[in-house]
Amino acid sequence: MPGDATALSRGVVRDLLYQGFQARFLAGGAAKSAGMPFGVDIRTVAMARAMRHSSDGKGDLCSAGHLAPGPMLAFGATPLEFLRQLGRKGTAPAAARSGGRSWTDLRRGLIGWDGPPGTMTQVLAGVALAFAQRGQDRAALVFEEFAATETGGWHEGMNFAAAQAAPLVVVLDAARGAGDAGEGAADAIARGYGVDAATVSREAYPELFRTVADARRRAVQGRGPSLIAMLPRDQDDPWALHDAFVAWARDEAGVGRGEVKAIERAASAGVDHAFHRLDKEPEAAADDALVPVCTHDVPQPAWTRRTPPEPGWRATAEPQGFHDVR
Amino acid sequence: MSGELPPQVTRTREGRPATFLEAIAEALWEEMERDSRVFLMGEDIGSYGGAFKVTRGFLDHFGQSRIIDTPISEGGFTGAAAGAAHMGLRPVVEMQFMDFISPAYDVLTNYIATSLYRGAGPLPIVVRGPVGGGNRGGPFHSQNVEMAFFHTPGLKIVYPSTAADAKGLLKSAIRDDNPVIFEEHKGLYRAPHCREKLPADDHVVPLGKARVAMEGEDLTIVTYGLMVHRSLEAAATLARDRVRVEVIDLRTLLPLDEDAIVASVQKTGKLLIVHEDTRTGGIAGEIAMRINERAFEWLDGPVLRVTAIDSPVPFSGALEDYFLPSVADVVTAGRYLVNY
Repeated sequence: MPGDATALSRGVVRDLLYQGFQARFLAGGAAKSAGMPFGVDIRTVAMARAMRHSSDGKGDLCSAGHLAPGPMLAFGATPLEFLRQLGRKGTAPAAARSGGRSWTDLRRGLIGWDGPPGTMTQVLAGVALAFAQRGQDRAALVFEEFAATETGGWHEGMNFAAAQAAPLVVVLDAARGAGDAGEGAADAIARGYGVDAATVSREAYPELFRTVADARRRAVQGRGPSLIAMLPRDQDDPWALHDAFVAWARDEAGVGRGEVKAIERAASAGVDHAFHRLDKEPEAAADDALVPVCTHDVPQPAWTRRTPPEPGWRATAEPQGFHDVR
Repeated sequence: MSGELPPQVTRTREGRPATFLEAIAEALWEEMERDSRVFLMGEDIGSYGGAFKVTRGFLDHFGQSRIIDTPISEGGFTGAAAGAAHMGLRPVVEMQFMDFISPAYDVLTNYIATSLYRGAGPLPIVVRGPVGGGNRGGPFHSQNVEMAFFHTPGLKIVYPSTAADAKGLLKSAIRDDNPVIFEEHKGLYRAPHCREKLPADDHVVPLGKARVAMEGEDLTIVTYGLMVHRSLEAAATLARDRVRVEVIDLRTLLPLDEDAIVASVQKTGKLLIVHEDTRTGGIAGEIAMRINERAFEWLDGPVLRVTAIDSPVPFSGALEDYFLPSVADVVTAGRYLVNY
């Protein structure tokens, strides 16, 4: 396992604890219209941490898909930002013009999920193509539900990435819409594209990390994309892996019990702070809807709902001279 | 990289007139030479040079990393163009025929067009390709696609009618930071009457500005693409009746140069809209509404339209000729309006 396992474990512990805020957020009814489940899956955090992170726009890129916010936290997102997204605040990264997972920050390597399953594999294939064209030591990571493989769009994106040997790592979450996906399902798909495949399930963190790190290394070496199937975890207790991981980090990876407590306290304080701030922040202003849709100003029509004509309005000037040309 | 230039990109360098198709090729070539971020993607655009040979010889000169032969998967490679644009590249996507853009409709309208508004940044992508009927291509190689995208905020739509505009507008589209749908009527590609000497300098035509193709005072015809030429023919016929027609070539459909249309209608008091696209939901309806909003007081007659009929593009020549708007149709509508 590359790097310092203990330091990485500390990071994952922190991300996991941060990620727990969403359950609290949803359970508290604060996300009344968000209404969508967010995945609390330790494995995605561990996998996302295997990529190369940066805050200057020079690191890897990740689309967390339906597994947000875990991988987003690993890429530097904060609970407050994500809460603002969910709460439709004008201060949200997407300024309330887009939803929780639709949040792009290229400097930190985040690309928001927009479109049906498969879309982001297409987009991240193009991101990876750009990395390859420039000869950069960068790769793209995309999380998709396994059901995406039932769409033509996903296969088009995967096919393009494979044909271009683009540095792309695709994680397929078989816990979601997986049908009969199981051991070997990703291998069968990968064979069709001539790319590498792996399957993870309840592996310990270092193995999850290593699987993605290996895929990333192959990708940036020009050996093309990889598929990683993530088989369902224990559905009865979504925290089981979380707790097991924390225990592992504490007992085996060298993160001391005291350190875990300190991380928990810091994370808890961070989340409390986020909720406190969120409550004080106003909803987005209505005028925020009117930002340009293009990079230049797009004139609004003369009459809009905001500037209705006055009663009795007439054109302000009569035609001059040429009205009756014949 | 080969040193010999493909013949379709050398017309202007040699001081010779260029066809519409050669103007497109010149624009692509010059923009790729000017900006290393520009690259092309499309089906068979590499060694085959594209279905209409626009990019013949490009692969030898620019190499595989900038001339990308794609699988037959318009949605997939348009989505990939979005990713590349996120990373600062400027992809130009060729649809072999614009009829095939429909598989990319989702990613164009849901992802690409919304990107800036969502805060995901601008996506400078050009999607270009041949459109239009009259070539006996039938329903799947003859469509005009502008109105499938016209109501999508965040997109631009360009539809030139002359070789000079094709070159200048395409160069502008590639330099634009927004996604642009660029329609090229295949009936103009090699049309002799479209062959012209192009400006030798860096010829750029701004997007969003219509041009007055013919000045007149009795009737305004607003049109674009191949129909500009049909309308000019009709105007010549009407001129024999001493009817002075003003022909407005929109050039860019989105954003629409509303001011140019209004100014002309304020001068003539009569408006006829001509487009090759089908009638229902065609751009004529939108233009008529805008005139209703901004120039109702100046109208001296109903706003009329001449369009294709509401049907798929038929395969038979006889049927297609009936389907498409003709010069005679424009003349008839024009006479009706001026006598209204």
